[in-house]
Amino acid sequence: MAEDLVLDTAIRDWVLIPLSVVMVLIGILRYFVSKLMRSSPTPDAKMVKEGQVVIRARNLKVGANFIPPRSFRNRRFYFSNEENGLLHVPKGEAQNPQAAMFSDPNMAMDMMKKNLSMIIPQTLTFAWVNFFFSGFVAAKIPFPLTQRFRSMLQNGIDLSTVDVSYVSSRSWYFLNLFGLRGLFSLILGDENAIDDTQRMMQMGGFGFDASKSLGAEKDGLDIIQHEWALPRFEQRAESVLRKLVK
Amino acid sequence: MVTKTEETQLNQLEIQVDNAGGGAWDYLCLVRDLKIRRSEKVLKHGSSILNDPRKRSALGPDEWTLNEQVATAAMDCQCLGVAQNCIKALQKKFPGSKRVGRLEALLLEAKGLWGEAEEAYSSLLEDNPLDQAIHKRRVAISKALGKPSVAIELLTKYLELFMADHDAWRELAELYLSLQMYKQAAFCYEELILSQPTVPLYHLAYADVLYTIGGVENIISARKYYAATIDLTGGKNTRALLGICLCASAIAQLSKGRNKEDKDATAAPELHSLAAAAVEKEYKQKAPDKLQLISSALRSLKI
Repeated sequence: MAEDLVLDTAIRDWVLIPLSVVMVLIGILRYFVSKLMRSSPTPDAKMVKEGQVVIRARNLKVGANFIPPRSFRNRRFYFSNEENGLLHVPKGEAQNPQAAMFSDPNMAMDMMKKNLSMIIPQTLTFAWVNFFFSGFVAAKIPFPLTQRFRSMLQNGIDLSTVDVSYVSSRSWYFLNLFGLRGLFSLILGDENAIDDTQRMMQMGGFGFDASKSLGAEKDGLDIIQHEWALPRFEQRAESVLRKLVK
Repeated sequence: MVTKTEETQLNQLEIQVDNAGGGAWDYLCLVRDLKIRRSEKVLKHGSSILNDPRKRSALGPDEWTLNEQVATAAMDCQCLGVAQNCIKALQKKFPGSKRVGRLEALLLEAKGLWGEAEEAYSSLLEDNPLDQAIHKRRVAISKALGKPSVAIELLTKYLELFMADHDAWRELAELYLSLQMYKQAAFCYEELILSQPTVPLYHLAYADVLYTIGGVENIISARKYYAATIDLTGGKNTRALLGICLCASAIAQLSKGRNKEDKDATAAPELHSLAAAAVEKEYKQKAPDKLQLISSALRSLKI
């Protein structure tokens, strides 16, 4: 079935380009709206402290071989001590982070706002595309595809003999959805180039999970064997000086 | 820490601006981003921009950040009138703002009104208990009043909350040193080495503190850290070289009566002679008229 359908250039002018332009504009609009609605998060003292503890424990892990053994052991004890070590999280407190998130009204509101600001434009645009731009072939994909993609890409086209490479405008919409990130990074500046895929990933994840990271750091610290690297430095210094003095 | 490229860029811009070649705004932005302290130049160029109404309107909303920058620079150079004007302009634009409140308290500090400044900072802290800059200003006030113990107390409380702030650890180490609390200073330097193990400065300071505390084991450790400094600086640090020579002579003196072989001493037996040779070489290059002094001092150490 290798016949080449000739697609009307009017399709390009009136379907592909307007659809891309509309999606870019909606993305920009969404960026500005989210900037207006963004509420500055008030950091909680406990969360700040835990974040800093994690950083300090990580530094200890990385630089452990640079300090004398006794100091390292003191610090490790300070961190992983069973009674009041900083990284020790007793069983009862390791609460479900999701429960904590939802009980905090500010954070729940923030999440809702973020989700809404993403879902509503997507749904509207999708409905608009389906309503106006369905029932015809919009574009041809340059590489061949298997028959499995037919139901996904050729949604409005009711002919079963058309090559799967010819797709409807819905697939163009999805292509734009995932692909406009580069364009946004040019227009809006590098940090704001969050397009829908990243937002969707953020919807799933739930932010800083303190108790798990503390437990992970504690395990990491317990594993380390301290090997003092300084004696080696003496020999290295010797060779450096030898070269210098020659 | 400022990287090499940033430093060269900064110097270039500075030279350009000083010779009236324009680019003042870029220079000010760079200084602000890198957080370095060039208060005189910032004050001079910043006020020239602010006093020229055409240039000022060209800045748009950045005008207020410039006001803040010039205000802090003016306070650093003790031009309190200029600072007062900038802060007044900011107050008119942003009444009741925390950032402006911080600048006002800073002005009180600059004028020397410590009591009022302390009150202002406490009230700001009540609204905003997690503001790092305000905590640090309070420590600075007690340090300026000559009360290092109060400063140490405040700083330790701050570090309990923000324990990854290495500048704070450094400040604490210096405070301890001023009070001769060497063991605590050693702890702080250990923290610094942990967070930034490739900075030779911290190894050097740690070695100095260990040498000062004394005792054979500490001096052996000090020698190791001097060696680390030499390694990290490629042998250019004269203080570390001299430190090794001093350590060698101290160890020899302290372990004179003992029989036990120090196994570390045999790890790098030629280290102190090499260090002495390197010191003499450097003196020959940089201060040849003092070469006699240093040679005789080194010879007396070896005894």
